[in-house]
Amino acid sequence: MKRNLVSLWSLTVASIKMYFRNTAAIFFTMFVPIAFIGVFGLLSKSEGTKLTLDITNQSNTALSRSVVDAIKGVKTFQVAETSQHEAADKLSKGKLDLQIIIPQDFGDTGPDGKILPNHIHALFNSAKPQNGQTANLIIGQIIAGINAKIAGTPQIIELEPAGVLTKNLGAIDFLLPGILAISIMQLGIFSVAFAFVSLKTTGALRRIQATPTHPLNFIVAQAITRLIVGVMQVVILTGLGIWLFGFHLNGNPLEFLVVALLGVVLFLAFGFTVAGYAKDENSAAPIANLITFPMLFLSGTFFPRDAFPSWLTSITDYFPLTFLADALRRIANEGVHLTALGTDLLGMLVWGIIMFFVAVRLFRWE
Amino acid sequence: MLLEVKNLYKTYADGFEAVKGVSFAVERGEVFGILGPNGAGKTTTLEMIEGLRPITSGSVIIDGLDVQKSPYAVKERIGIQLQSSSFFQNLNLVELLKLFNDLYLESSDPMTLLKEVGLEEKAKSQVKALSGGQKQRFSIATTMVNKPVAIFLDEPTTGLDPQARRNLWELVEQIKKKGTTVIMTTHYMEEAEVLCDRVAVMDEGKIIAEGTPKQLIQDLLGRGFKPRQKVEPASLEDVFIDLTGKEIRD
Repeated sequence: MKRNLVSLWSLTVASIKMYFRNTAAIFFTMFVPIAFIGVFGLLSKSEGTKLTLDITNQSNTALSRSVVDAIKGVKTFQVAETSQHEAADKLSKGKLDLQIIIPQDFGDTGPDGKILPNHIHALFNSAKPQNGQTANLIIGQIIAGINAKIAGTPQIIELEPAGVLTKNLGAIDFLLPGILAISIMQLGIFSVAFAFVSLKTTGALRRIQATPTHPLNFIVAQAITRLIVGVMQVVILTGLGIWLFGFHLNGNPLEFLVVALLGVVLFLAFGFTVAGYAKDENSAAPIANLITFPMLFLSGTFFPRDAFPSWLTSITDYFPLTFLADALRRIANEGVHLTALGTDLLGMLVWGIIMFFVAVRLFRWE
Repeated sequence: MLLEVKNLYKTYADGFEAVKGVSFAVERGEVFGILGPNGAGKTTTLEMIEGLRPITSGSVIIDGLDVQKSPYAVKERIGIQLQSSSFFQNLNLVELLKLFNDLYLESSDPMTLLKEVGLEEKAKSQVKALSGGQKQRFSIATTMVNKPVAIFLDEPTTGLDPQARRNLWELVEQIKKKGTTVIMTTHYMEEAEVLCDRVAVMDEGKIIAEGTPKQLIQDLLGRGFKPRQKVEPASLEDVFIDLTGKEIRD
């Protein structure tokens, strides 16, 4: 007992040192996922949700200025005042959602001192009709309000908008759990398979077997190291996502971490299968790629599986990475608890048990 | 008797018979050499004795312990140097020796061990930064962690230059002086002559001769052997060492 504990502790410390002094391992398990999150985060951030409008105010009356101010006051609008020609050019190039022209005689008064009826021209990009229509609706409301004020009719019905806190999910909310799931898979499979196979081929592993420690201590030490790296991946990637790209972790962070670590254990079973079966690095690489490559793209990690033909959906439903990515995403996006993730957790458990037995069956120390 | 090997057989899964009925015994404090060409079964024999490879049939008793019954207890008492002396990467020599200390539940001082094999200056180096001779000396240092009753050296001087080889011989002699039994394999007959009290010659999985080097030479001469060339009192290696000096070039 004491021997096992001392051995396990010492092998774990050694294994952690080996891992963190190995620049390639750090590059693939830390830097690459961070770069992925960074690139995708920036891409999804630049998709502005604001409607762009250009106003050409040819009139210069108090009324026209109040209309312009009212439009500029709408938060979802990004408004610029430009010439009619310039705005038309931008609209034709698709850079505008709506072009508004306030004619020269707008707000002129008649001989009785009353404002003469007039109109505002609104031109929208028919390629993006929804955006144009939305802008039109908002402007229609503004004008109705101004009309009512001028006519002196009392506002009988008023719309009282109230902001409702929605989960307001962006692209990063879809991507981050997927990228995290991929990083966990790569950590479990590649980092174990290569480290282990290299120790196997050089004979370093055999030297450990020549000591009175049980070789299982070495396997457990390797697994503990990966779990520690897994925790770091979750904390760093999720933290960066929240801090830089507005990722929402709506669920319990601890449950999020627990699911991620279950994922590490699951993919470690795959990793040790490859590590135990492969004779050398040259045979480990194709096996590891064969396992990870289909999952990388078909488990709903980078893009949703909605567009798949139904037969592909039914196959990919059972991918271990699908279960992990889905569970992480649902905790983050929907804020559900572990109890609501029965299918995903069961799927991971079944895969874990299968791969554990396969790993034990195929394992070779040399 | 420190080691007793009786009727040892090894048949691999593919049917290959690597060891076919090997028996020998080693006295406490002896340096025993197993000689033989490549593929003779030397390494397989050593690995079965060390408890690293399952024994097909036969028995091995080390220090009164049956290897098949208590492999871990045997491993606690012996030191093993493997043919490919590889260690964990990214750890320095002191860190590796501390790891071995823990694996043996020992607390040998890493610096003392390194000093014994002349590597105290490399304490903070990694194994990959060592020369061939230094690697072998470090490998021997790791076998001394548990103050073993016997150490097993598998071709410790293969690939080393004459200086490094002679340096390793001195190390083995030091170990012998401390009373540790040494069981080693080698291709080099000169090495066996210098170091070994007794040798066994193996070929095709069997021991074909056993005795002290002197005895074996006398036996050969007794059979009417005539050397092909006249043996000079000095060898070409003596010339080489005389010209290039004994100092090791690591």
